[in-house]
Amino acid sequence: MPRDASTDKPLVELVNVTKIYPPDVVAVEDVSLRIYKGEILFLTGMSGAGKTTLIKLICRLETPTRGLIEVAGRDLSQISTAGVQRMRQKIGVAYQDFRLLDKQTVLQNIAMAMEVTYASTKVIRARVEELLALLNLSDKRDKLASELSRGEQQRVALARAAANGPSLLLADEPTGNLDPAATELVINLFRHLNEKNGSTIVVATHDPSIYAETEHRVMTLNNGQLSAHPNRSPRQIELFEA
Amino acid sequence: MQFLAYILRQTGKNLRQTWGTQVMTLLTVTLSVLIFAFFFLIYTNMLRASARLGDDVRLIVYLDQEVTEQMRPGLEKKIHDFGPVEKIVFVSRTEAFARLSAQLGKEKDILNDLGPDFLPPSIEVYPLKNLNDLTRISQFSDFLLTLPHAAKVQSGSDWLRRFGYFTNLLRIVVLLSGSLLIISMTFIVSYTLRLTVLSRQGELEILRLLGATSAYIRLPLLLEGMLQGLLGSGLGLTALYFLYQWIASRFSGPGFLKLFDFAFFPPELTGAILLAGVVLCTVGSLFSIRRFIRI
Repeated sequence: MPRDASTDKPLVELVNVTKIYPPDVVAVEDVSLRIYKGEILFLTGMSGAGKTTLIKLICRLETPTRGLIEVAGRDLSQISTAGVQRMRQKIGVAYQDFRLLDKQTVLQNIAMAMEVTYASTKVIRARVEELLALLNLSDKRDKLASELSRGEQQRVALARAAANGPSLLLADEPTGNLDPAATELVINLFRHLNEKNGSTIVVATHDPSIYAETEHRVMTLNNGQLSAHPNRSPRQIELFEA
Repeated sequence: MQFLAYILRQTGKNLRQTWGTQVMTLLTVTLSVLIFAFFFLIYTNMLRASARLGDDVRLIVYLDQEVTEQMRPGLEKKIHDFGPVEKIVFVSRTEAFARLSAQLGKEKDILNDLGPDFLPPSIEVYPLKNLNDLTRISQFSDFLLTLPHAAKVQSGSDWLRRFGYFTNLLRIVVLLSGSLLIISMTFIVSYTLRLTVLSRQGELEILRLLGATSAYIRLPLLLEGMLQGLLGSGLGLTALYFLYQWIASRFSGPGFLKLFDFAFFPPELTGAILLAGVVLCTVGSLFSIRRFIRI
């Protein structure tokens, strides 16, 4: 169920954020956005609209040219290196290009996210098994990442992002290489994380099948500018106004 | 505990991934330590021998006439005019013959055809222990030559001087090999770690994205450098010890080693060399970490 966004402090807040890549490529322009705790937000838009840049800005892989970004009330431009490290342990990011280690197994790739938090081997093992089952990858546990199909790699990347039960999960085109059945598994994973862990989930996608029927907020980026999705439901309008 | 387990596991992984380079580095560090420690061992032994020889300095004034009891106080006074001495021993012809005879032991028969008067009388002057300056000994030697009936003075200063030159030369070799040690350990370990970093660049980048702490990324590399230092120095010193044992067993007896009482490093010096190796390699790894890892 979508949460009521009107009362809480936002988990992520962007105020008039602009990102210009040299020499003068405007990726994101004057974007203001509030993402609330426990919310699922879909960011849609064509390729090159600025979705990936926006995700990179939120996890401080990029810094804004102008504007303010706060995560959990902390200004990202003022946060220390150790602070960024701690923050990234709590934010799961599934990258569009997966960023898996080809020569490591599925298990090792997912476990890596938990190892950096010094979780015990037993806890890691149990969590990885749970995620593999959720994403129907249990039989691929010991396969090298390079031996997997694109769709399987995409699911491994999602499992890694979800491994620490993140308070914020950023998924960049999470269903780009998936068939409908696998897409359903991914949506179920998001729902599971959102309902069980209270995770806030931001999904950047141009795949209408995953947000067409949703009752969650859908925002559209067009040439770096953010607006409400044109075909929104009354509920979505209400959420956008909030 | 979990933290330590991760750091150790990661270190092991690094070592496995670049084992070929690691072995080469280990050999280089071992050889550097061996070369340095070898010269340093000779140098420390030479220094000890030099100190002992300095303690044993005596000047022998050979006379062309036997010293009578009446002459002794006058000679002693004259010798003391140069400065205080430890002791003065007058050796008559007969005493010199008896000494030589005792030194020859079973072979004293060769002296049968020579009369007890064939050796010259002498005065043995033992300077104070603080007279270890070669120039001063030489001056003392020249002074003693002015004593009445003095024919020749044997001070051993020429030999000591040559020994001093050799020790100085060895000091330069030790300094050079020490420099080699510093260069090889810091630069080669740094270079090896750079290769490790390059081979793991993709993984390090992902770790960074996942929020790995600086300690998680850097400590295994630091530990890798420390291990190189510990193992390299340990192997180098072990090789030197076996070399020392081999030389000691081959050249035991009244030879060179006996003369200098050749000994291996005391435990504290061995520990210091080991520690220096570890520190140098750790410094080398720090260079790499600071230069090539962006957190």
